[in-house]
Amino acid sequence: MSRAMTSLSLLALLGVVACGATLPPQELVDARKAYDRASKGLSAQLAPAQLDTAKQALDKAEKSFEDEGVDPPTPDLAYIAERKAMIAEATAGKVAAERDAEKADKMFKDAQIDGLDRTKAELNKERQAGEKTKAELENEKKALSAEKVARAEAERKAAAALASLNEIAKVKEEARGMVITLSGAVLFATGKYELLPIARDKLDEVAKALVDQGYKSILVEGHTDSKGKASDNDTLSLKRAESVRTYLVSRGIPSDKIRASGLGSSRSIADNSTPDGRANNRRVEIVVEPLK
Amino acid sequence: MVRKLALQTLWVGLVTVSLAACGGAAVPQETLTAAQASVKGAEVGGANEDPKAQLHLKLANEQIDKAKKLIEDGKNEEAARLVDRAQADADLALALAQQSKAMKDAKDADEQLGKLKKKLNQ
Repeated sequence: MSRAMTSLSLLALLGVVACGATLPPQELVDARKAYDRASKGLSAQLAPAQLDTAKQALDKAEKSFEDEGVDPPTPDLAYIAERKAMIAEATAGKVAAERDAEKADKMFKDAQIDGLDRTKAELNKERQAGEKTKAELENEKKALSAEKVARAEAERKAAAALASLNEIAKVKEEARGMVITLSGAVLFATGKYELLPIARDKLDEVAKALVDQGYKSILVEGHTDSKGKASDNDTLSLKRAESVRTYLVSRGIPSDKIRASGLGSSRSIADNSTPDGRANNRRVEIVVEPLK
Repeated sequence: MVRKLALQTLWVGLVTVSLAACGGAAVPQETLTAAQASVKGAEVGGANEDPKAQLHLKLANEQIDKAKKLIEDGKNEEAARLVDRAQADADLALALAQQSKAMKDAKDADEQLGKLKKKLNQ
């Protein structure tokens, strides 16, 4: 390589000597450099016509240099050739930049469309969410009105239950709760604590009314008149209360919500000296503590 | 009087001879006009807004001015060469201005794209 270079240099030197100091003018040196740079750059691809023009201009300058040496018009032609090479480079640069801009513009538009699509999707999502909320509200409203209906129905049932109770027993509102008084004659035979068949029918209705109406707790109280031994009366009244309680439990009143107690003749409500009064005193009271 | 006329004739003859000696090149009016038009075109094309383009615009103008003086002096051949140089510089000035403008546009487009992308990713 270096030997080849040396030979070339020698040849060049010989040529120079032979031609008599025909060093190329600075303009031609610059033109060759400019063309070299342009032809190795993007110009061949992006500005081939301009590069060709530059080549022709350079050839013209070289020819002039051969023919005329450094005399005019060699420097002028070289000067022009250099500019033509620079024009090829600038044109290539322009085309490359235009392509970049076009690419960026396209990407910009794509991104815009993409953005629009995304915005649209988000809006849709929001709208769907809004519709969902609306549906939920609607459901809530329905549930609320259903609850209202249910409550009204429960109130109606409770009122009906109370009305039917009033038909079969005496119902009184007292401080301790609602007191349903059933006559002993209807429930039991004298001195017995087994329920009479008719008693069962009545108690069925009481149980139904209680279930419909709702309650917190129930107390069944047995009461007697004052005839006979008080201890016997106490025992009988308790057994009778328990009979009623057991029956009500069998009819769906939870056993932990209903108690029985025997009070004997301790709470007479009528005169024990008359048969009517004694009949009224023989009774069972069902005390219902209402739901708050 | 006769002598004076003879002198005049001699002068005219001398001038004619000297013109002939210069090769009798014509005034490069056509190329000069074209170069001047190209300078205008480069100016309109934004050559004053790019430093490199501006330099070549300046060179073109200077060479045109010089060429005009040479034409006044009758040095048409020399003037023609300068006009050709001026033409090359004017063309180059326009090409450089156009390149610069295209690059600026590309940069702007890229910035716009970047801004949009940033906005979309927020």
